[in-house]
Amino acid sequence: MAIQAEFTRVIDLLQLPFMHRALMGSVLTGFMGGLMGSFTILRQLSFFSDALGESALLGIGVGVLLGLDPSWVILPFAVLFALGVAYFLERTHLWTDALLNIVCSSSLAIGIILLSFRDDYKGGITHLLFGDILAMRTTDLVFSGMMLVACVIFIGLTLRSQILLTLHESMAIARGVSVSTQRTAFIVLLSLVVGISIKAIGVLLISAFVVIPACAARLLSRTFVQYILISAGLGALSAVIGMIVSAVFDLPSGPSIVTAQLAIFLLAMLAPNRRKLAL
Amino acid sequence: MSDPVLVVNGVTVYREAYAAVQNVSFTVPAGMDTAIVGPNGAGKSTLIQAILGILPRRSGDVFVLGQPLSPSGKLSPAVRQQIAYLPQNFLFDRRIPITVREFVGLGWDRLGLQLPWTGGKARRQAVQQALTQVDAWHLHQQPVSALSGGELKRILLAYCLVRPRRLLVLDEAPAGLDVRSESEFYRLLHQLKKDQGWAILQVSHDLDMVRRSCDRVLCINRTLLCQGTPDHSLTPENLSLAYGPEFVRYRHSC
Repeated sequence: MAIQAEFTRVIDLLQLPFMHRALMGSVLTGFMGGLMGSFTILRQLSFFSDALGESALLGIGVGVLLGLDPSWVILPFAVLFALGVAYFLERTHLWTDALLNIVCSSSLAIGIILLSFRDDYKGGITHLLFGDILAMRTTDLVFSGMMLVACVIFIGLTLRSQILLTLHESMAIARGVSVSTQRTAFIVLLSLVVGISIKAIGVLLISAFVVIPACAARLLSRTFVQYILISAGLGALSAVIGMIVSAVFDLPSGPSIVTAQLAIFLLAMLAPNRRKLAL
Repeated sequence: MSDPVLVVNGVTVYREAYAAVQNVSFTVPAGMDTAIVGPNGAGKSTLIQAILGILPRRSGDVFVLGQPLSPSGKLSPAVRQQIAYLPQNFLFDRRIPITVREFVGLGWDRLGLQLPWTGGKARRQAVQQALTQVDAWHLHQQPVSALSGGELKRILLAYCLVRPRRLLVLDEAPAGLDVRSESEFYRLLHQLKKDQGWAILQVSHDLDMVRRSCDRVLCINRTLLCQGTPDHSLTPENLSLAYGPEFVRYRHSC
C-alpha cells in the first residue's frame, strides 16, 4: 500500500506544470551539455565551463549594481568571457588551464567585491551557486530549446571540420578550415550553453553536464559520430533519471542529475563490452 | 610544358624576431617530385607551412594551381581540395575515438558548411577504393590509435588518395618508421605518384632517396642555396654550403 501511495504521489507530482517544465528543461540542458561536451573534453576545455560558471559571479555583480536582471546579464557576459579567453589564448600561448584559472579567479574576486556593495543579494548568490530547475519558466525553456537547435545546426553543418580540427590543427588549416573562426564560434556557443544553464543547474555543478556524459560516451564508443550521439543521449538520459529520482526521494534536482551522470559513468567503466581506449 | 602547380616567389617568414626563411623562390612543375633538403633548423618545415597558409609570411607571393594564397593564408576551396598535406610526425591525442574509415573520409570532404550525411554513398566508395589501393581495407573498422607506425602511414596515403589531387606536400612523412617500413612507404608513394600524376613537394633528410627518386631538389638553409636536378644540386660543394664541410667529409668516409 505504501509503495502504491508513493507511486501515486510521484505520478501526481510529475503531472504538475512546473515539473513538466523542469523535466523538459533538464533534458534540453542534458542534451546540449552532452553534445557540446563531446568536443569540449577532446579539446581539453573541460575546465572552461567550470571557470565560466564561477566567473559568472562578476556578470551577476555588474547586473545587480546596475539594477538589471542577473539572468539577462549572464549571456552577454558569457560571450565576452569566451571572446576574452580566446583572445588571451591566441595572444599569450599560455596553457589553457593556467589562463582559465587567472580569468576565473580574478572574475570571482571582482564579482564578490561588487556584490559586497549590495547586502540584499545574499540569497541570490545561493540561488546562483546551486541553481533551481524547478523554478524554470516557459521563457527559459524557449531559450534552452533555441540554444539546442543552434548547437545541433552548428555541430551538424561543421561536423567534418570540427573533427579534423580536433584531430590535427595544421591538417585542418591546410584543408582550408578557418581555425580561429571555428574555435571562437565553438567557444562562444559553449559559453551561451553554460550561461543559459546556470540558472537551472548553478555554477557549482554546470561543468558536470559538459564533462561526465562525454567521458562516459568515450568509454562506450568506437567511432566519432557514435561518440557524439551517445554523449548527447547520455546527457538527456541522466537528466530524466535524475529528475525521477529527485521526485521519488524528494532530493534536490541538480545534484540528483549529476549523481545519475556519475552512476552512468561508473556503469560505462564497468560494462564488460566497453570499447577499451587503444593507447 | 604545363603550368607549374606551385609558384613561390620571394617568400620570407619570421619566427618571433628572426627570419626563419628569407627570400625563397622556386616552382614545382606538374607531376614532378621535388625535395627540400637542408640541416635541422634550416626552415624547411616553416617554408612548407607558409606555403600552405599555416604560418603567416612576412613577404612574397605564393600561387597554387594559378590561384594566389592571400597574406592571411586564404585559398579558394576548390584549390584546397586538390592539395593534401601530411605533417611531420602525425601526432594526435590517441584518446580521440576515430576509426580508419572515418579518418580517410575526412580527406574526401570539402569541409565547408554541409549536412553530415552529404555524399554518403560516393564517400563510402571513395574511402573503400583508397584503402584498397594502399592495401589497408582490412583496417577500416580499426581505431586509428591502434595502428602501427607503418599502417598509419598507409592510412595517411589513403587520406591523400581518397580524392583526385594535384599536389602532395609531405613534411618528413616517413619519420619514425624503421628502414623496412620506410622503404615500403616510398615504394607505395612513388607508385601512387605514377598512377595519380601527383606533383610532390617533400621535406626529406634522406639524401640517397632524394638522389634516387626525386626529379628536383631545393637546398635550403634559411635562404635557397641551390635548386635543380639531384645530380646538379647534391654536389659536395652545395652540400657543404647547406650542411657544413664536416657533413660532406663524414658522408665521403661512409
